[in-house]
Amino acid sequence: MGAELGKYKLAVSARSADKEVQKVAQDGGIVTSLFGFALETGIIEGAIVAASKEWAAKNQDRILMENSNFEMAEPWRPYPAIVYNKAELIAAAGTKYNISPNVSLIKEATRSFGLDKVGIVGTPCQMQAIRKLQLYPIGARDVGASIALAVGIFCMENFPYQSILQLVEDHAAMKMESVKKMEIGKGKFWVYGKRGQVVQLPLKVTHKYEQPGCHVCLDYVANLGDISTGSVGSPDGWSTVFVRSKIGDDVWAKAMAAGVFETKAIESVKPGLELVTKLANEKITKNKATVEARKTFGVGKGLRIPYI
Amino acid sequence: MSKVVEISPTTRHEGHSKLVLKVNDAGIIETGNWCSITPVRGVEKLAVGKTPEQVPKIASRVCGICPIAHTLAATEAMEASIKCEIPKDALMLRHILQLANRCHSIALHDILILPDFYIPGTETKINPFTAEEPVRTVAKRIQRLREIGQTIGQIAGGDCIHPRNTRVGGMYRNVSEQAKTKMYDLAKEGLTLAHAQAEFMIAVIRSYHKRDFVDVGGMKVALPKTLGYHDQGYLATHAFYGSSSQDECPSWDISRFKEARPWDWYMGEMTVDLEEPRYPIGGTTKVGTKVNPQMEACTGIPMYDGQPVEVGPRARLVEYKNFDMKGTQGQNIAREMEYQDCFYEMIDCLDALNTSGKVVADYIPNGDGSLGWASNEAPRGTDVHLARVKDWKVQYFSMLVPTTWNFATCSKALEGAPWQLAEVIMRGYDPCVSCATHMIVLDEDNKLVAQKLIQ
Repeated sequence: MGAELGKYKLAVSARSADKEVQKVAQDGGIVTSLFGFALETGIIEGAIVAASKEWAAKNQDRILMENSNFEMAEPWRPYPAIVYNKAELIAAAGTKYNISPNVSLIKEATRSFGLDKVGIVGTPCQMQAIRKLQLYPIGARDVGASIALAVGIFCMENFPYQSILQLVEDHAAMKMESVKKMEIGKGKFWVYGKRGQVVQLPLKVTHKYEQPGCHVCLDYVANLGDISTGSVGSPDGWSTVFVRSKIGDDVWAKAMAAGVFETKAIESVKPGLELVTKLANEKITKNKATVEARKTFGVGKGLRIPYI
Repeated sequence: MSKVVEISPTTRHEGHSKLVLKVNDAGIIETGNWCSITPVRGVEKLAVGKTPEQVPKIASRVCGICPIAHTLAATEAMEASIKCEIPKDALMLRHILQLANRCHSIALHDILILPDFYIPGTETKINPFTAEEPVRTVAKRIQRLREIGQTIGQIAGGDCIHPRNTRVGGMYRNVSEQAKTKMYDLAKEGLTLAHAQAEFMIAVIRSYHKRDFVDVGGMKVALPKTLGYHDQGYLATHAFYGSSSQDECPSWDISRFKEARPWDWYMGEMTVDLEEPRYPIGGTTKVGTKVNPQMEACTGIPMYDGQPVEVGPRARLVEYKNFDMKGTQGQNIAREMEYQDCFYEMIDCLDALNTSGKVVADYIPNGDGSLGWASNEAPRGTDVHLARVKDWKVQYFSMLVPTTWNFATCSKALEGAPWQLAEVIMRGYDPCVSCATHMIVLDEDNKLVAQKLIQ
C-alpha cells in the first residue's frame, strides 16, 4: 500500500535511558520519558495521561470527575489526568488497555488548570480528534494553540471497560484487583497477576470484545501524532518511534541531545518496520472491509462512515 | 413645526435598534424614541419547567456581550429562590469572572465610540483601524485588554463568552495554583494598560465635549454643553458586583419595580418627513416612510418608583462614589473611571481565593417555590433576574436587563440635543440591545398581558 505508516521524518527503535522509567514502563518508556523531558525543559507545562484509579483518588483536583466515589470506581479503569512532573508521570505509567477519554480533559487543561502548553498522549483516533479540534476550534477557543506536543500510540483496537473485565475475570480467571500488568504481544493477550501467575489468551478470543467503532479505523500508527510510538517492530523493552511533525522533530532532537533515550537504527532490529507495515496493512485491509460493508447498512443510504 | 426623522438601524453597538425623533425647525429633538427592534426570543418562556441548572445556561445565550452577568444573575436568582449559600471561594471566582467580563466589555465599547471623537487638538476624527499613531497604539492596547479580560474569564469561568463553570450551589471546579498565578499576572498587566487606556479616553472625551461644533457626515452641528442630560435618577445595586434577595440588606426592592407596555410609552404612528442623505452610514430613512415605535419596539419599559432610571457605570459611581458629572460626557468618563477598579478588585479577589478551597455548597435545596432575585452589575448596568424554583424545577423566570432600563431613560436624555448627535448620546449607554428584547409584561395582578408580540 505504501501509506500505511503515514508521513514521518524519522523511524527509530528506542528506549528510555532512565532505569526508573524502564522499571515501570510498558515497553520502552517512550511516552513517560518524552513527557518527563518536555515537562522539565518547559516545552509543556502539563501533560494529559491515563492515570490509575489509585492515583486519581489521591489527586482528585487533577481529573475531570467531581464528587467521585472512588471506593466504587473499578480497578484498571483509566482516568484522564493532568500531571506536572516526572514523578507523577511515573506514578501514572503503563498501558491500561481500555478507553481513556484523554481528549475530554484538553479544554479544561487550558481553563481552570491555566496551562498554555499542554502535552497529550492518545490513540490514533484521539490524535485525529485533537487535529480536528485544532482545525475547527468550535467550542474550543484557544485550545488548539495550547497543544504543544501530541504523542500518538500504536493501536490495533481498543476495549471498553466491560470487555476487559470479562477477559480478565472470566477468561483469565483472575480478579481485576490482583492484576499487575496487561499486555498484547506475540499474538496473545497477556495478563500478569500480582502473585506471579501469568495467563495468556489467544487474540482470537479477544476479538469479539473489541469496541465496534474501532473496526472502521484506518490508522494503526497514529499518523497525526507529532511523535508516535508503540512496541511493535522493536525487541522486548524497546519501542518503535516515528517522528512525524516539525514540533515532534524539534522535541525529539532536544531529547536525544539531552541523552533521554537510547536508540538503535530501525533497520538493525528485529522484527523491524516490516512487522509494523504488515500489521498496519492487516488493520487497514480488515477495517476497509467493514467500511465497505457498512455502506450497505441501513435503509437506502448506508451508515455514515466516520473516517476520511 | 416639528418634523420626524428616523435613524434606522443605529450603528456601532450590539443588537438592532432605531431612533425615531421628533425635531423642531432648528433640528433640536423635542421627543426622542429609542427602541429595540431585535426580535423577541422568549427566554423566560423557555425557562419554565427546566431545571435550575439549565436556565442560567439558556439565559446567558440571550447575548454574547455580557453573558457572564446573565449567567451569574440567573444562577444567583436560582440560589436565592432555593436559599442556597455558596462557599466563599466560589464567590471569589464569580467576582473574578464578572470583572474579567467588564474589562473586556469596556475595551470593546471604547473601540465602538472612538470614531465619534477627535484626536485632541486636531480636526481629525479617530479611525480605530488606522495604522497611524497614536491610534494604532490605542487599538493594540484595546485588543490586549480584551484578550486579558477574556483569558481571565476563560480560566475562572471555563469559557469567556458563555461561562460553563458556574453552577447552582457554587462553581463546578476551583482553579489550580498555576491558573491563579496566570490570572494574577494578567490582572497586573491589565491594570497598567487600563490606567493608560482610561487616561487616553478621558482626555479624548473631555476634548470632544469642549468643542462648540462637531462634524457629522459633513454637517457642522452645534454641540450643546448639556448633551445627554436627563433628570431620571439612577439605580445601582452594588459598587461592582451585585445583590440578591438573600442579602442581609438587599439593595434592590422588587416592590418599587413596575413595567409599562411600549404602546403606553412610545409615540404612535407617524410619517418620516425629514431626510438627510449625508448622515452616516447611508443616510436616514426616506421621507414618506411610516414609523410606529409603539408597535415596533420590542421591549417593556421598566420603572423604579414609577419612573425610568439610568443604570450603568455612572449610576454605580453616583450611588456609591458621589460622582456628579451629568450627560454623555459624564457617562463615558464614569465608564473609564471604573476601568482600573476592575483590576484592583480582581487582584483583591485573587488574593482572597484559596485554590484548594471548596467551591460547591454542601447542601443544595430543591426549592419551595419562593421568589428569589439576584442582581448583577453588568458592564452596562444592573441586570436583575427573578426566579421561582420548586422541587428542582423553574416555575417562573424573568430578566430585567440593563439596556431595557436604559431605553426609556435614554429616550428622555435625547431631548434638547441636535438630532445628528442622537447616536452619540445613545452610545454613551453602551447599549446591548439583544438581551433587552425578551418582553414579558405583567399587569397589576401579575398576569401576562403582552403576549401579542411574542406569538
